[in-house]
Amino acid sequence: MRKFLGISVELVFGLMLLILGSTTVSWATAVPEIDPSSGLSALALLAGAVLVIRARRRNN
Amino acid sequence: MDSVPAGLVRGQGQPSVPRICRWSPSFFQRVLLLVLLFVAELTVLSLWLDTASLSQSTGFLGIVGDWGAWVLRFILGFAAIFGTFAWLKHKAEIERISSKVEQTPIRWRLLAVHFLAMAAFAGLSSLIFVDGRSGRADLLGTSWFAAGISAIILGGLAFLPRAIWAGLVRATGYLWAYALIAALSACVVGNMGGRWLWKAATPASYLTFELTRRFLSLFVSGIVANPEKMMLGTQRFSVNIAPGCSGLEGVGLILAFGVLWLLLFRRECRFPQSLILIPFGVGLIFVLNAMRIAALILIGNAGAQQIALSGFHSQVGWMAFDAVAVAFCCAIQQVSWFTSRPQERQALARVTETPTGAFLLPFLALLTAGIVAKAFSGSFEWLYPLRFFAAAGMLSVCRRSYVGLTWRCDWLAPAIGTIVFLTWIGMDHLLNLNPGVDPRVPTTLQAPRLAKGIWITFRVLAAVITVPLAEELAFRGYLMRRFISANFNCVSFQSFSWFALLASSVTFGLLHGGNWLAGSVAGILFGFAVVRRGRIGDAVVAHATANALLATYVLIFRS
Repeated sequence: MRKFLGISVELVFGLMLLILGSTTVSWATAVPEIDPSSGLSALALLAGAVLVIRARRRNN
Repeated sequence: MDSVPAGLVRGQGQPSVPRICRWSPSFFQRVLLLVLLFVAELTVLSLWLDTASLSQSTGFLGIVGDWGAWVLRFILGFAAIFGTFAWLKHKAEIERISSKVEQTPIRWRLLAVHFLAMAAFAGLSSLIFVDGRSGRADLLGTSWFAAGISAIILGGLAFLPRAIWAGLVRATGYLWAYALIAALSACVVGNMGGRWLWKAATPASYLTFELTRRFLSLFVSGIVANPEKMMLGTQRFSVNIAPGCSGLEGVGLILAFGVLWLLLFRRECRFPQSLILIPFGVGLIFVLNAMRIAALILIGNAGAQQIALSGFHSQVGWMAFDAVAVAFCCAIQQVSWFTSRPQERQALARVTETPTGAFLLPFLALLTAGIVAKAFSGSFEWLYPLRFFAAAGMLSVCRRSYVGLTWRCDWLAPAIGTIVFLTWIGMDHLLNLNPGVDPRVPTTLQAPRLAKGIWITFRVLAAVITVPLAEELAFRGYLMRRFISANFNCVSFQSFSWFALLASSVTFGLLHGGNWLAGSVAGILFGFAVVRRGRIGDAVVAHATANALLATYVLIFRS
């Protein structure tokens, strides 16, 4: 499995997206194109999709 | 009870052996207690204080007004990054250090001093934020800041002695510096980046305006366009394309995502071919933003102005970002021109046949349907049944993968569900998260009888059947075990670690928006339900019970 600083790359990537998602909610300001209040669902969806796509490679 | 001070054995003056007569929780129990204490205090402070009220102040209080919230975010971000990566990268060292902590009891006196410091902090906050005292403001502000920092340090030292903190810093090397830089950069960019982005957005919004006008001209005639005021639309419906609509936010997100992906998975990418995906992704999301605005105007022009301005407006930007990001990943994995390992393309498994897919896809279907349903709804989500069908369909597709799971449960599962329900309602009332009657409920009840019946039926079916199944498979079945091992499918459901339980529960809680605290507590209880007997069925039934009771409560009390 690929490692980055000794940690599974998928886990790092998924966690970064989750941290980004959670901070999006707490740092929310009203903006029209990317609405922070809906950001968590969208980022969770992306994090999940990335994990599923990556899992195809090692059939896990 | 032995009255000898900790560290000494009576009459010998020698360091003592661990004593069992005092309550001395493990390292992880202490961290959990500390986190719970800080979260409770932070929740009260967040509800009570608003640093924006100091924005007109000068001197130290002015700095607090401008940067106070960001300092808090910095502390939270630093703690989250340091804690997460310390556990992932230095698990063995932390376990070694944690074995020493049980020799030292919790220092209740320090905890009492922590509460005194918090009381001083609250008193000074009352003077600064509530009374708005301006006399000797800098002295007040400095005392307030010192009291807050002292309370944090005293709280930390009460649960974990200084030697353990020093050992943690030593064992994790320069991680504290990396976490400090990451959290500091995020705060500075977050506070100042928005202003810079706003200046850069004006030229970009002219390009978006022109692109949108051209897309619109393909579908309607008689376009109303005023480039000076950036107004665009038709005789019936027009919008102002503000700098925030310029598309730069989507461009920034795709740029960050693409660069991160190419960096982390560089060995799987063929260079320099893969680099072309960055400008392609950036251009695509910019064009999609113009198409989004054109579609919004067309929807408004067709008479559905509420849908255009609420659901569609807020959701479609994210849909475009997700679509481009997923296309980016798939292109690198499946297009031989971009991948450095074209032979692996043939060996890729179907997503529904992988264990990760089977556990995550129902939840992802639920999320996708939720985003789509909200995008095409006004103030009320009439398309909610879409969530039920999407999750049910995906559960059906993946059903063979669930044969090996234990779906049985015992009496404790509905009991846990009832506790979660009571906790949820209690926190809702205590924190006053949803004051008054939920406007959605009267809207539903005023609808025609048939539509009302169908909507409520699917809302309850989803809450009691598909949502518990999809969420428990994702959070307890996948995420909790994934935090224990990368090869999660080989991890028993009875395997337990505090980190896995807390991390999966907080993630679960965060997806419940304003009810994140109640959601996190619910996640912990559902996690215990699974671990107790190693049966996913216990968590599903507990979750279904909680949701069924909540649905009943909402229908009876309309709240």
